[in-house]
Amino acid sequence: MTPTLEITNLKLHFPGHGAPIRAVDDVSFSIAPGETLGLVGESGCGKTTVANATVGLLAPTAGSVRVLGTELAGADATTLRAIRARAQMVFQDPVTSLNPRMTIGTAIGEPLLVRKVARGAELRDRVAALLEEVGLRPDHANRYPHQFSGGQRQRIVIARALALRPALLVCDEPVSALDVSVRAQILNLLVELQARHAMSTLFVSHDLAVVRHVCDRVAVMYLGRLAEVAPRDALYAEPRHPYTRALLAAVPEPDPAVQRAKPRVPLSGEIPSPANPPSGCRFHTRCPLATDICRNAVPELRQVGESQVACHLA
Amino acid sequence: MSNAQPALVVENLSLAIGPAVVVDNIGFEVAPGEVLALVGESGCGKSLTAQAIMRLLPPAIRQQAGRIRLGAEDITALPERRMQAIRGRRLSMIFQEPQAALDPLTSIGSQIAEALRQPLAEARPAVRRMLEEVGISDPDRRIAQRPFELSGGMCQRVMIACALISRPAVLIADEPTTALDVTIQAQILDLLRRLAIERQTAVVLITHDMGVVADIADRVCVMYAGRIAESGPAADIFAAPLHPYTALLLASIPRLSDVPKSALAVIEGRVPQPSEYGPGCRFANRCPRVMPRCTAETPKLEARAAGHQVACFAA
Ligand SMILES: Nc1ncnc2c1ncn2[C@@H]1O[C@H](COP(=O)(O)OP(=O)(O)OP(=O)(O)O)[C@@H](O)[C@H]1O
Ligand SMILES: Nc1ncnc2c1ncn2[C@@H]1O[C@H](COP(=O)(O)OP(=O)(O)OP(=O)(O)O)[C@@H](O)[C@H]1O
Ligand SMILES: [Mg+2]
Ligand SMILES: [Mg+2]
Repeated sequence: MTPTLEITNLKLHFPGHGAPIRAVDDVSFSIAPGETLGLVGESGCGKTTVANATVGLLAPTAGSVRVLGTELAGADATTLRAIRARAQMVFQDPVTSLNPRMTIGTAIGEPLLVRKVARGAELRDRVAALLEEVGLRPDHANRYPHQFSGGQRQRIVIARALALRPALLVCDEPVSALDVSVRAQILNLLVELQARHAMSTLFVSHDLAVVRHVCDRVAVMYLGRLAEVAPRDALYAEPRHPYTRALLAAVPEPDPAVQRAKPRVPLSGEIPSPANPPSGCRFHTRCPLATDICRNAVPELRQVGESQVACHLA
Repeated sequence: MSNAQPALVVENLSLAIGPAVVVDNIGFEVAPGEVLALVGESGCGKSLTAQAIMRLLPPAIRQQAGRIRLGAEDITALPERRMQAIRGRRLSMIFQEPQAALDPLTSIGSQIAEALRQPLAEARPAVRRMLEEVGISDPDRRIAQRPFELSGGMCQRVMIACALISRPAVLIADEPTTALDVTIQAQILDLLRRLAIERQTAVVLITHDMGVVADIADRVCVMYAGRIAESGPAADIFAAPLHPYTALLLASIPRLSDVPKSALAVIEGRVPQPSEYGPGCRFANRCPRVMPRCTAETPKLEARAAGHQVACFAA
């Protein structure tokens, strides 16, 4: 079956002062129909850059991005437009994602109207159905964004993203800006939608517990490259990359009995700059296991058990 | 630990913005070497409480009631001149955005020395030792660097160095790790805990993250909409939460141990704004155990077990 998303040797470099910023450097992964892939990693590792390339908001420096088999790299405007209907994005901040002067009914219906999918009474019905689908009431359609809470606004953004029945939903930190007591509402909604529509999802987050909760497979990024890609249960039960292990050990569990019994996996040093990444394995400057080969040779992703790992020592 | 005289006592603190009481009758104490977490969602009044303790409230906020004691001394009404001698010496604070709190043009060495009110030339050995204590390697080189030359995690270590070099009795840490990555957060929390114990500093740690609380707190005050919903030893709050809000909040957080994709507990609705605060319990409109009494009367914070208090008619 054609993967919903197939990214191959993707590079995204930004001009910097002097050396270019190698935000994404040779990343490959795919997402099968109906599958949810989590993309995790620390601030600045390139998650948002990958997400933006996936929906055609950024043109790759090199490599390929295929959505449902269609190449985005170098595609003409018509192809891009067609693909964008199939791959929809939900951003972190529901406040800035909505136009304050547009009723939410208009905002949700806009993609349907612009692409001439529905109008008039049919459009109203479709908008009402979308509102119900995300747990809002059809009569909310005439209200403006400021009349809703953060969690409700994120529901509205999700409803708009669902309007064209996309094959791929790209969510960039969809709950990070929400109140803690509201996050579960949105996470439950995303899990329900996955089950109902068999949609593929790229779920970007820095929160490993959230990713475990909603994803089938997980890709761990470090400084523009993939460290490990594995099915969820394999990744959490048996993390194979030293970086994955350190990240997992650093997640504070909301249970003192568990959290205080956990062995610490201290990482020395700080994340280096993507303008001047370390030689060899980019993680070697912080890795407790690093040896000479790690400093000299770039590890490729290779299969170890169920996982793909980019580590000479795994 | 609980037998020692508390390093900090906050009693019946109430803060208002116009007619809205945004911090309502809050009280707690912290012993030397103890970490007390003040946990709650955005807008529940955590930072205002911290600012009231520091006596640095913005002009729009009125302190309606409350006493603050530092050791044996009541500092509630001290003149600003006396407070200035206390701040940074006996009572220190660190913030969420370390880069913003540090002076961008001054070397970090001079900034740490300034916390001792000494020129760097004189304080250099002490500054060097403090940098080592907060885990900054190569202190001789770092002393001369300015904040923009350091990462966020390192700036937070510098802030901690500034705050602790004068050996204050109390440290208020307002979301000290929220802007940091998890691997750096773990380092900073370890550092705070170690220094609190070694130096017998009383720490008030403000956070919205129950994971951070579980990691570092000895005791916890759970705040909701300007009030304390529940307070007690960290182990008890997590193992047997008494307030429906605490229980639901804990059940709504995905954990590494839960069943993936299982339904998380949901708290319906949203956190109220201060303008919406009405009579009765402020959680009543979202509470699954609400009773008629809850919307009419305000529940008092009452002890249910040793040191474990809750403000709920149903608990
Ligand atoms: N338009 C741009 N111009 C220059 N550099 C950029 C640009 N966008 C991103 N970067 C840099 O590329 C790197 C990756 O950024 P990206 O936003 O993808 O990270 P992220 O993993 O999403 O981080 P976060 O968790 O903080 O959102 C960072 O070093 C960032 O500073
Ligand atoms: N200077 C101010 N003027 C007016 N209202 C304020 C001011 N500072 C805070 N508030 C209001 O007081 C309430 C409590 O604010 P506070 O900053 O203490 O919340 P918090 O618990 O620290 O939240 P967060 O987690 O977002 O930092 C909020 O409703 C806030 O909007
Ligand atoms: Mg991002
Ligand atoms: Mg605050």
